[in-house]
Amino acid sequence: MPSRTQRIDRLAELVAARREDGEGRGVWREAFARMRRDPMAITGAAIVGVFLLVAVLGELIAPYSPTAQTWGAEVFPNRNVFVGPRAENWLGLDNLGRDQFSRMVIGARQTLLVGVVAAGLGFTAGALLGGVSGAAHTLGGRAGRRIDTVLMRFTDMMLALPTLLLAVSIAALLGQGLTTVMVAVGAAQIPIFARLLRGAMIAQGSRDYVLAARALGARRRRIALAHILPNSMGPVLVQLTLSLATAIIDAAALSYLGLGNPDPSVPEWGTMLADAQRFLGGAPQLAVFPALAIIVTALGFTLMGEAMRESLDPRLRN
Amino acid sequence: MLRFITRRVLTAVPTLFGLSVLLFFWVRLLPGGPEYALLPEDASAEQRAALRRAMGLDDPILVQYGRFALQLLQGDMGTSLQTGRPVLTEFWMKFPATVELAAMAMLIAVAVGIPLGYLAARRRGGALDALAVGGSLLGICTPVFFLAFVLKLVFAEQLGLFPSAFRQSPGIDATRITGFFVVDGIATREWDAAADALMHLFLPGLALSSIPLAVIVRMTRASVIEVLGEDYVRTAEAKGLRRGTIRTRHVLRNAMLPVVTAIGLLSGSLLAGAVLTESVFAFGGIGEFIYAATQTRDYPVLLGFILIIATVYVLINLLVDISYSLLDPRVRVS
Repeated sequence: MPSRTQRIDRLAELVAARREDGEGRGVWREAFARMRRDPMAITGAAIVGVFLLVAVLGELIAPYSPTAQTWGAEVFPNRNVFVGPRAENWLGLDNLGRDQFSRMVIGARQTLLVGVVAAGLGFTAGALLGGVSGAAHTLGGRAGRRIDTVLMRFTDMMLALPTLLLAVSIAALLGQGLTTVMVAVGAAQIPIFARLLRGAMIAQGSRDYVLAARALGARRRRIALAHILPNSMGPVLVQLTLSLATAIIDAAALSYLGLGNPDPSVPEWGTMLADAQRFLGGAPQLAVFPALAIIVTALGFTLMGEAMRESLDPRLRN
Repeated sequence: MLRFITRRVLTAVPTLFGLSVLLFFWVRLLPGGPEYALLPEDASAEQRAALRRAMGLDDPILVQYGRFALQLLQGDMGTSLQTGRPVLTEFWMKFPATVELAAMAMLIAVAVGIPLGYLAARRRGGALDALAVGGSLLGICTPVFFLAFVLKLVFAEQLGLFPSAFRQSPGIDATRITGFFVVDGIATREWDAAADALMHLFLPGLALSSIPLAVIVRMTRASVIEVLGEDYVRTAEAKGLRRGTIRTRHVLRNAMLPVVTAIGLLSGSLLAGAVLTESVFAFGGIGEFIYAATQTRDYPVLLGFILIIATVYVLINLLVDISYSLLDPRVRVS
């Protein structure tokens, strides 16, 4: 039986060793360290990085104005005469004689805006709903459970409406436009975030550290905000990244259904893709480039989200 | 067990009631009522007001909801403003098309997805695995309507392998019994009609299957990987059971639980997801009609169709939950 001092020394050694191994660091720092070595995360981040750069620099990259119909005399959509990629127009001309490459570059910003606003809206409202619900369930006693039940019935109702129908319904209510698309796509994401955060919070609520905090007499608000919430954000942030991808795709679908951006001076990938369907036979490039841009960008966000999910999953650590 | 089912069924009731209230008020909030959609543009304000009165749209909103709820309980969902037929009749006329399409999509997704997911998990890290994972990510990220357009352009219009629109060729003289064209063709032994309907289903079904296929591949793969790491699989291998036995009795049976849940939930969303595919292939199902209803502000159709789809969705959820509790007793306790 080692003496007490020996045991304490041994413990101190162990702790020091753990520090050096990098164990015991924050979950997020560990996850980030894992992601830095993950080819999936790197690819995703690279795609998203390029997309962000194009969206920010926009006018500096685009060789022409996205609205100038400089080459209008060369294109006759009704006679199936289009201009494909060539030296001065890298991706060819659209049906109105505008430079497709410039429209794509400028369109990145609008597409990013739709994705970020929609996903942000769904995240904020959903996290609020789910956070209140989860906190009420874990800490609110009997009354809290009742609040939780009511709120969850409400999200169940929203979940029972399939995403696209919910979006179409909202778009029908607000009329055609970019704001509509953002609100509709965002609203459809709300119940997903709410369910996710609530579930994670309830799972955390039964953990020992919450019991310890309660035993120490910490206030309920503090337990909810400082203990449970930060530990429950993992799956929600993963979903946020994935939502950016679905938001861009759903926005394109709404544009296709004629509920998207009606303003032709503001190019946006979803609208460009939807408009180009009419000329798919004569000028497939007009649809293919926006489609590829949407697919690749969505893929970038999805890869990042998936890599994040894997790196946060305790079962996959080490 | 019975208690679990009863409780689960009862929780669906307030959800459906709440939905009917929510949707009812939402429909009333839509801008430009049916008096704008139905009457010509030069109709006078009096004519519009008269139409609103005649349709009962000037009554207090609670009275309107009461009337709506009472009719709903009697199975009456009102009349379509576009066609003048009862909403329920419209629904039953168009529902078989969408169900056939969704079934085709699910068939493709399951038939390809489960074996592919299993093989990918078995050869984890190999070329097939990379292909399955990469392909499914691509499937999730591709807009369905674009995929539908490309399939239509390449396989229908350019190669001419499949028909490009509708549910059956106009020249076919088919007897209608159920409204499910394939089923009708088989039942009446009009093989050419059934085959023709199947050909019409293939491309839209393929387009619609992209997302469920991707989800099923990924779920099967993840689930099989998890089960393959279980002790009982190692035991089964150690005692020298044949690979086929291990595959079906040990691995797949256990790995399929989450996949079955996903299939159930995906089927519900396919009914709505068909909106895009149906309009590309002019398929004439409920999706296409809902879209037309948003354009013409056909309130009763919008309300009725969305309510029915939501009900179907809730029922499917219910069935998934109950079947899950039959398969896995642990679910019942929690």
